[in-house]
Amino acid sequence: MDLASQLHSSILSQSLPPPSQTFVTSLIAARNPPPPLASLVATAKSRLLACDLSSSPSLDSASLAVFPAGVENTHLREQSLQRDTYVQVLDIENLSLSRWEQIEELESIEKGERTRGREIIRVTADQDGSGGEPQQQQRATPSNATHRLVLQDRSGKKVYGLELRRVPQIGVGKTKIGEKLILKAGTRVARGSVMLTPETCQVLGGKVEAWHKTWTESRIARLKEAIGGDQRA
Amino acid sequence: MKVLCVAEKPSISKAVAGHLSGGGFQTRNTRNQYIKNYTFSFDFGQSWGQCDVNMTCVTGHLTQAEFTNEFRNWSFPPPEALFDAPIVTNVVDDKKAIAQNIADQARWSQLLVIWTDCDREGEHIGNEIVEAAYKGNANIRVKRAKFSNIERAHVISAAKRLVDLDEKQVSAVAARIELDLRIGYAFTRFITNNLRPLRGPMENLVISYGSCQFPTLGFVVDRYFRVKNFVPETFWGIKLTHLREGKTINFNWARHRLFDRMAVVILYEKCLAAKKAKVTKVQKKPTKKYKPLPLTTVELQKAATALLRMSGQQAMTLAEGLYNKGFISYPRTETDRFDRGMNLKALAERQTPDARWGNYARGLCDGGFQQPREGKHDDKAHPPIHPITYAAPTVLSHDEGRIYEYVVRRFLACCSDDAKGEASDVELQYGDELFSAHGVIVSERNYLEVFIYEKWDNTIEMPKFTVGEQFEPTEAMMTDGKTSPPSYLTEADLIALMDANGIGTDATMAEHIQKIQDREYVATVDRGGQPAGDPEQNDNEPAPASRGRGRGRGGRGGGRGRGGSGTTTGRRGIKLFVPTQLGVALILGFDRMNFETSLGKPFLRKEMELKMKAICDGHTTKDVVLRESIAQYRHVYMESQQKLHVLKSVSLAPCDERHHP
Repeated sequence: MDLASQLHSSILSQSLPPPSQTFVTSLIAARNPPPPLASLVATAKSRLLACDLSSSPSLDSASLAVFPAGVENTHLREQSLQRDTYVQVLDIENLSLSRWEQIEELESIEKGERTRGREIIRVTADQDGSGGEPQQQQRATPSNATHRLVLQDRSGKKVYGLELRRVPQIGVGKTKIGEKLILKAGTRVARGSVMLTPETCQVLGGKVEAWHKTWTESRIARLKEAIGGDQRA
Repeated sequence: MKVLCVAEKPSISKAVAGHLSGGGFQTRNTRNQYIKNYTFSFDFGQSWGQCDVNMTCVTGHLTQAEFTNEFRNWSFPPPEALFDAPIVTNVVDDKKAIAQNIADQARWSQLLVIWTDCDREGEHIGNEIVEAAYKGNANIRVKRAKFSNIERAHVISAAKRLVDLDEKQVSAVAARIELDLRIGYAFTRFITNNLRPLRGPMENLVISYGSCQFPTLGFVVDRYFRVKNFVPETFWGIKLTHLREGKTINFNWARHRLFDRMAVVILYEKCLAAKKAKVTKVQKKPTKKYKPLPLTTVELQKAATALLRMSGQQAMTLAEGLYNKGFISYPRTETDRFDRGMNLKALAERQTPDARWGNYARGLCDGGFQQPREGKHDDKAHPPIHPITYAAPTVLSHDEGRIYEYVVRRFLACCSDDAKGEASDVELQYGDELFSAHGVIVSERNYLEVFIYEKWDNTIEMPKFTVGEQFEPTEAMMTDGKTSPPSYLTEADLIALMDANGIGTDATMAEHIQKIQDREYVATVDRGGQPAGDPEQNDNEPAPASRGRGRGRGGRGGGRGRGGSGTTTGRRGIKLFVPTQLGVALILGFDRMNFETSLGKPFLRKEMELKMKAICDGHTTKDVVLRESIAQYRHVYMESQQKLHVLKSVSLAPCDERHHP
């Protein structure tokens, strides 16, 4: 077996989104002689998980399943996905918390404060340790939390994903925007929302850096807009 | 040998004299009408032996630290000069006769024994007494009696085991006094000088600053904005009820509630589609409601404000009175564990004459006694607050009686067994959703019999359910509700916040809370919205409307887990703290001027409090602490001076136009 097919099958064996032929060949051609297979696979993995699943030429459209027609139909009580479907996360919300609660917490973190019980703690950038995203340092998600995600397939179609049962890898602050998931064949869809369970939803990881940054920065504004809408309703 | 004993206040002086002399002492007047000198003889043991004793007292601090005359003017030298202006410590004018009495008596004595309260403040007062005594006799030896109540045997044993005065505690208090003076005066003059010219309501005010009062005010302002800015949101849930054996069982949804209607519709439809619910778990197990921990000052104040409708300060004054009369132990303590060597049963036995709890106390003595739980705090100076001798209702005022009753009932509860019962839990799966029901049957009330401030009631008795059993629930409904804002702070909340954030000591918290009211930075309203007035009028106060439907964020997690911390009687007439316009302006002003180290936040003061403790523990010295803390506050001062326009602009803005930063 030549290096290209070796690489191709190694990528598939890791459940990564199927790459296009050009992606595989250009990856091998990038350096001469090509690096060992293991490091090629590692490079492929990080690029595939960081790409825009809906448009990237690195992916093989022909072998990527998309949502069935009518998946978003809210009048349909029950349908299911026929094939394993790769999707990326565009948004995540914890439906168990009020938006106001989340706004208050984010605003106090922005001011450099955090509460531990009744105690108010000063958080400075250097104490925080993470450096990059102090905003994401929130409380741990309780086990009965229910998240709703916006998921996008290869064709660009967006559908809600609702945690029917808790998927431990999913959480605000944990899940990254642009992160890739596989919805296994047989995944149920109810009234336009894909039901997420640990058995049918495989979290692959990854993120689209720019999207995640924008999402993080605009989170308070989005939460505020959402409660503005709630008030008018 | 001649010994001079000096107590912190007249009541202690008289009680100690009584115990040491066995009642046979002679009384002589001094030039201060409240202060008597008692003479008697007593055998101190150790190397002292039988001595002629002269017992007298002071009335709190003798001396006062102040700036010299050149710094009397408010505008010149400028207030920042006070950070390093010279300070003089003098005997206060109306205490001069007291200091003179000590000097005169010291002249004839070889030994001075300090009988001030055993805490930091008491240690410092002890040192002031020593200074006064040296004026009359520079060679007098000094010892200290260590005691935490004025019960006879305890006092005699303290007199026979004299210790040394703790210089570290004296230094800590001296540092605190100097910092409070410099920082308090500098900022008070700064704020007042700059805000007065703005006229309006501030024209004639002295706007006083205190390093504890501002963070305390900060908590009130912070909560005020959380209430004011609150935005209600709708949530949805699923309610499941089942009728069995004539009982209606309510099952709670494991997801509790979700803030999205469509999501709940989808999950609810899946329940209905499943038709039958399946029992996944049935469990019966013994459960307990723990008896309370031994009583600390902070807990006493919280209980008094929440249950007895008193202010923290009133409660402390009453408790202090009960201590001075010998009915309870020293009421300023952080300790929530009793020393194993204490004879608690004997203390319980003294309560047997009471008509209300005497029988209960008798029961404890006749075999019901259990060693109290042990908390994690020990100030190494005082035991938890507990009754010493029995006080019949006739010897106490109405309010003293209520505090005494609380202390006694709490103590007896501590010496009792936990309340016991049986908990039943049933869990169901209905579609993909999980539900659970919880029931408790109380079998032994134990401490609850005497501790009337807590409740633990039977819930419904759970009918029989079997694991694996399937049934069609009687009713499954989709519900909705709205979140409601948090409530304004109660005094108990405020005390808890101060405690958690190191603002003030357990002994001074109530004073700070009183001060921000006296200075009109905060006002109180009765729960329900009316200004605080005659509490009797609010007996039929309806629950606030927002609580009716879906308990909202205040209710989250507060339900059954916490277990009866409030009773229905405690609800009435509880005061809530709201900031005044001036209070809001001060906190917003400082928050905006000094982003990192706002004086309205607890951080700086907490650090100072920790440094006091470090002095007491010998980890640092007074001079280091003074240098560091003054530098910090001076920095805030300079920053405030540069951004003065910010403070002025929030102070001028009408209240409604201000927004939280």
